[in-house]
Amino acid sequence: MEEMYNKLPCREDQLNNLLDLLGESDEPLPASLFVSGGMATGKSLCLTTVLQYLNYKHVFIDCIECYSTKILYESILAGLSDDYMDVKCDSLWELVNNLNTLSNQQNNYEAIVLVLDRAERLRNIDQNIISTLLRLREFCNLNICSIFVTHLIYDNFYFKIGVREPIKLYFPNYNKEELFKIIFLSQKSFVRYLTTNNDFGCDIKEELERPELFANFLNAFLSVFYRPCRDLIELQHMARVNFVKYCEPIIKNEIKPNDLSKLWRHIAPILKTSLELLYLRINTTKTPTQAQSLGKENSEEAQPQRYNFDNILKEELLSTKTFAQSFELPYYAKYLLIAAYLASYNPPKEDKRLFMKNHGKQRKKLQHVRAKAKISEKLNTQLGPKVFTLDRLLAIFYAILEERIGLTSNLLAQIATLVELRLIAGSKEIDLDTSKYKCIIGYDFISAVAQTVGFNVRKYLYDFM
Amino acid sequence: MIMHELSESQSLNQIKLLRKYLKLKILEDNIRFRDHDSERNHVYNLISRSIMHGESHSALIIGPRGCGKTTLINSVLQQISKEADIVNDALIIKLNGLIHQDDKIALKSITAQMQLENAVGDRVFGTFAENLSFLLSCLTSGADRKCKSMVFVLEEFDMFCHSGRTQTLLYNLFDITHSKQAPMCVLGITNRIDVMEMLEKRVKSRFSHRQIFLFPNENQEGVEKSPLSKCKEIFVQYLSMPLNLAKRNVKEISKKRKGRKSIVNVEEKMDVDTIDDNQYAIPEEVFTRCKVDSSQFQNLEYGFIESWNAHVESLVEDQKVIDALEKFSYYTVNEQLFKDVLFQIVSKLSLSKSYIDVNDISSSIDHTVSPEHRVKLLQSLSILELSLVIAMMHGMEIFDGQPMNFEMVLHRYTKFSNTNSSTQTVPRPVILKAFEHLQELEIIMPVKNTDSIYNTDTTTSRVQKEYKLYTLAAPLEDIKEAMKGFKALPTEINHWFNNSVF
Repeated sequence: MEEMYNKLPCREDQLNNLLDLLGESDEPLPASLFVSGGMATGKSLCLTTVLQYLNYKHVFIDCIECYSTKILYESILAGLSDDYMDVKCDSLWELVNNLNTLSNQQNNYEAIVLVLDRAERLRNIDQNIISTLLRLREFCNLNICSIFVTHLIYDNFYFKIGVREPIKLYFPNYNKEELFKIIFLSQKSFVRYLTTNNDFGCDIKEELERPELFANFLNAFLSVFYRPCRDLIELQHMARVNFVKYCEPIIKNEIKPNDLSKLWRHIAPILKTSLELLYLRINTTKTPTQAQSLGKENSEEAQPQRYNFDNILKEELLSTKTFAQSFELPYYAKYLLIAAYLASYNPPKEDKRLFMKNHGKQRKKLQHVRAKAKISEKLNTQLGPKVFTLDRLLAIFYAILEERIGLTSNLLAQIATLVELRLIAGSKEIDLDTSKYKCIIGYDFISAVAQTVGFNVRKYLYDFM
Repeated sequence: MIMHELSESQSLNQIKLLRKYLKLKILEDNIRFRDHDSERNHVYNLISRSIMHGESHSALIIGPRGCGKTTLINSVLQQISKEADIVNDALIIKLNGLIHQDDKIALKSITAQMQLENAVGDRVFGTFAENLSFLLSCLTSGADRKCKSMVFVLEEFDMFCHSGRTQTLLYNLFDITHSKQAPMCVLGITNRIDVMEMLEKRVKSRFSHRQIFLFPNENQEGVEKSPLSKCKEIFVQYLSMPLNLAKRNVKEISKKRKGRKSIVNVEEKMDVDTIDDNQYAIPEEVFTRCKVDSSQFQNLEYGFIESWNAHVESLVEDQKVIDALEKFSYYTVNEQLFKDVLFQIVSKLSLSKSYIDVNDISSSIDHTVSPEHRVKLLQSLSILELSLVIAMMHGMEIFDGQPMNFEMVLHRYTKFSNTNSSTQTVPRPVILKAFEHLQELEIIMPVKNTDSIYNTDTTTSRVQKEYKLYTLAAPLEDIKEAMKGFKALPTEINHWFNNSVF
């Protein structure tokens, strides 16, 4: 009992609730429970721990695995009986029949629990399944309880003609203090993670194992990361990555472990940059050998080519700018891409004004001035790209390109390349006259590309005029 | 409060037994039926006439969810089983629209419930009607006596009226009630009041048009009953323990200690109790169905039960409890839900808490009638995600509920974060991820049909995710409520929330 509470910190209320409702093995179970709560709030873990503690017969089914109802039924039956392994079950009726034969074999009132994880998936299969599982107890003579676990709330499960309502439980997200407490519990594993990758003297190791150090780090970490993210799993991962960096100067003896302000000044910019990597799971930590080799990059050319490449790939994904440069597009392809972007985000009737040298004076009418006060929600950059034809693309391309070049097949092949690279979305049409394109890259990307050829995209965008 | 001085293990045992008994009573007792005497008599007459006199009938029982339609049938069948030899005289076939989704499965199930699988064997039938009449003929010829009468109970009757497909099963069943092939009683149970419109013409014409309505708030002849008093009644009904459970026990003791006057007094008192005592007991059938040995409850002490019942009585008089029950009766009349509430209350009983706490009652009623999970969900969001919700809310307020895409929300959010230098700037991919998280939690929902003025040339499926249009699925009131109770909410966010145009 005590062990269970230690295993699941900050979930005492929920555990007590579950224990109360599930009662003891010879007591009747509630017909159905509905457990909801955000991701990484310990729903499944609480349930399995409680069920193991109570030692009930239970089946744990992840509905994401059950793409057809047959699999769902058969896994329920396989989980409930030991010798039923090759049971065939196609319909709900057969499921109920099988359960009834099971109940005839039983001679006591044994508690059976059916846990359906990710129950929101069941909505897409068949409406009847949830309604039936909710009242499974009425159909078969078993002391059975179906528990639905989902990150959605009950209101998102809509039943046309109503159902037997389950008892609802909610698991709230951990707050800052609770997150601190939970991550702090795994301090040892953090330090171990650090020490296995490095080797250093005993005194430094002792310093690193001090809980105060870790607590300080965690405080700093959460002050940055708690705002955009409350997902425990993600935070734990990010904390692991950043703790290594936090300890780097200590290991190198640059900063004393009790000089908190200096450590904070050291980690603050690192945390900020790694905030960009939240959820992306790009592993930027380098093993010391890698870090060394990168340091020598300039002097030594003979590098093991492969893992250098790995590193480059990671670095490239770090920001849109480096990512855009990583494509290493040819000069004209870059202009083609810019032209495609402009064609997508400018209305065609403004082309004349934007790209022609002598477009004639625009008379400033009151109406026009009013039109200039554009509503931000109706800007093209916010509504998404529009389709354009090849003609318009080429026209804009020649307008923004200073030099005169001929329209060669090489140039047209560049367009095909851009489509292939998924920078432009093109239709499958073979006929060049009717084919339509759409530029599907963002502003950050295009401005990075434009920078390399010294072109100002903003100047040619209608939205920013 | 425990009047008798019991040792710890003894009182633990008592509590456990009491809890188990009450749980069984709340969850498993599907036989006891209250009120609606005229409706019950009506159903009773129909079934008993078809079983005893071989008449054919059909009827629909209509009533909202959780008002006791199935319980009504169960209680009638149980009563009849006492009066007649159901096993030999009648066949009771129960079908449920949820399980028997199509006629083929229904027919299979009928065959199984008639125990005629062997007779059918590998025979192939042309039509549904042929199959059914073969089953009936098997019944007449197989048995040595006249045909058994049959009672069909069709739960979720509306599910049998499959739209789009023919209602073969219903047609055949109703047809037999007219053709005198066999005495048959077809009872449909449904919660759809418009079920008659769903029937095919040929089915409708064969149906007797006997509809029995069960309305939970209907007043019985002359007896004025408010929903509250009904709630109270159910409360006492389910939570009270039958005194005669312990009686046998006491009697045994009293036989041993003959001559003691105090025991005689107890016995006299018992005889008075027996009259109205049975109403709190669980019917014996329930025990056998659940394979529970009922004799274990004889270990309950008389005094313990008595004090428990007094406790329940006193609870009903408590103003707080009355308020809570009244609140519940305003929200819903669903008895099933009330049973769930009672179950939660009972499951909280333990050694350290041997009596029901008034606060438990009101809290679990609050929890049931207004769970406010959406508010809790909103409070579980990170500050960033909540800001996106607010940005979206403001945008939709300004543009009269027009759906928004990520870029618009981002624009609004950056506008806000630029005016507040204190907020840390978050990179775009993280915001996009937060937006996707909101979508996963279904706080925002994608717009299905793009009839808005924005999307003229693109279909939703082919638009990049940044430009997909979404609407806010959380109502304004819930967001407001969530903002009120949000812990450690930065002041600037609260300020932003309250000043809509920013």
